[in-house]
Amino acid sequence: MDRPEIHLSKLLVTVLLFSQSLLAFSQDVAGRTVESEHSTLFGVGSGSVYDSYLSPYSYSGTELRVIRETMRGTRLMDGRVSYHTMVDAHASLLENRPGNVNEYAGGVRYSNAWLYDLRELASGVNGLSLFAGPAVSGYLGGVYNERNGNNPAQLKTDVMIDAKVMVRYDFTLWRRDMRVTYQMNVPLLGCAFSPNYGQSYYELFSLGNYDGNVVFANVFNSPSWRHLLTVEIPTVVGNVRVGYCGEFMQAKLNNLGYHSYSHNFMLGWVKNFGFRKRK
Amino acid sequence: MKFSGLNILVILLALLTLTSCVSEDEYDNSKTGNFEALWKMMDEHYCFFDYKEKELGVDWDEVHTRYSSMINEKMSNAQLFEVLCNMLSELQDGHVNIGASFDLGRNWSYFQEYPLNYNDSIVNIYLGNDYYIASGLKYVILDDNIVYVRCESFETSIGEGNISNMLSMVALCCGMILDVRSNGGGQLTNAHRLASRFVDEKTLIGYVSHKTGKGHSDFSTPVAEYLEPYNGLRWNKPVVVLTNRSCYSATNDFVKCVKSQRNVTIMGDKTGGGSGMPFNSELPNGWSVRYSAVVFYDRDMNHTEFGIEPDVQLQLSGRDTEVDKDTYIESAREYLKNMTTE
Repeated sequence: MDRPEIHLSKLLVTVLLFSQSLLAFSQDVAGRTVESEHSTLFGVGSGSVYDSYLSPYSYSGTELRVIRETMRGTRLMDGRVSYHTMVDAHASLLENRPGNVNEYAGGVRYSNAWLYDLRELASGVNGLSLFAGPAVSGYLGGVYNERNGNNPAQLKTDVMIDAKVMVRYDFTLWRRDMRVTYQMNVPLLGCAFSPNYGQSYYELFSLGNYDGNVVFANVFNSPSWRHLLTVEIPTVVGNVRVGYCGEFMQAKLNNLGYHSYSHNFMLGWVKNFGFRKRK
Repeated sequence: MKFSGLNILVILLALLTLTSCVSEDEYDNSKTGNFEALWKMMDEHYCFFDYKEKELGVDWDEVHTRYSSMINEKMSNAQLFEVLCNMLSELQDGHVNIGASFDLGRNWSYFQEYPLNYNDSIVNIYLGNDYYIASGLKYVILDDNIVYVRCESFETSIGEGNISNMLSMVALCCGMILDVRSNGGGQLTNAHRLASRFVDEKTLIGYVSHKTGKGHSDFSTPVAEYLEPYNGLRWNKPVVVLTNRSCYSATNDFVKCVKSQRNVTIMGDKTGGGSGMPFNSELPNGWSVRYSAVVFYDRDMNHTEFGIEPDVQLQLSGRDTEVDKDTYIESAREYLKNMTTE
């Protein structure tokens, strides 16, 4: 019997390559000065993971997170579109409520966003900037339960189109120029990997038996959002950024429930560049 | 209506509020809560309810009624454990367990209610002191140029190189006795790796199906499972596989794979069964639970959950045991001698 093969990895690569080609187009700004902002944030906080394939109950514990983001101007739509990339990696050590079993969760999300400057909406407030636009993101990660035998781990991967909103507010406090930035991502639609309800990874990877494992994900069966609130403070060593990252990922695919909630305190730095692209 | 960024944001937020949280099962770490959690977990995930109802008359709703009356909040953890074990024993499934720090709840009736048909001391006499060990395989060439191979478990990884080297060493033997008695299973990949040395062509060995939902009959369409012959050194001479009631899980599957092969004869007792692939889960109090989740059928879509009949039925003879002889091995030697002289 011919069965469709799983091409999620190929799809992921295709989407990300497409987004990169769009980046190349959007950066075609020869001869113009482009502002570019790079930030690196390190975070620590708490995580809670529930995956009904592994356990009927959630596990909670400590989470570490690293976020690397870049935002730069483009010439698209009279220069009102900015290109934003984010690499968001996290790792968690989790424990069940009785405290006798550990789970390990982790993954990396890479996203590209094109943010339109909604300057008309923000014109009433001095220092306020508002951006909104689509984002394409890909995630690769997993959850491992140290006690389970034939269902020890769950592979987590998806390719999603998100709606992204960014609000910035520049102000002066104690004679220092500060900036508050709030970002929110809401995954709208895409596709995600999920084993079927009682399907073993032996069937999937040893026998190659496909059973609806690439699932159409949307805001209804995967209601999720990610928040990042930061304050940028100039110091003698550079611009320091502190903030909060909240990630609330959920999915109900193939009758399997999943959520990953995390709260992280973030600390890092920001570097701003202005450069002239060579012809 | 003109859509601005703010409108879109409001619509998105409204959409999110329409969607519900994906939440875990209710966490109730009381005696009743743990009982209900176990019953529900099995009800929604166990894969043999239809089959066990037909074969054993198990009605899981009736089981709930009967056992829930035994639960109260004053009982000790040991008493709760005993009641939960008894409830799970209704399924007569060696892959169903409940584990606490003080005990492992199990139903091993698949071998405990039958003669063992295996004597380790006598087998060690056959192996002697100079037997070879190729990973999980112990082997020795007997006086009549028959190789005796003892495979105690499929837990230990048996590499292709181990099997190839063993087959090279015994290539001049006229027959093989492959003893998998009391092999309680392990990894299917190990079992299939060994079985692939006894098939000449791509062979249908059965079908596999998993649950797709919470209903007792919610299953995926069974998918055929094939065994590919190893592309290298294989055993084409006669082989006798020795089995007893303790051949379980992956070993049961190994017997299923080789039973239909032209040069393979299964001798001994019926295998113990265990044709479901077990998954793990847990109760609110942290006790582990294991249950059969994926069904493996044979090539005729029959269950082998309660074992596979041998081609030649044998029982260990007390008279043989008295003189340190293993009836199984002696019968297999006689059978192979007849095969090779024919």
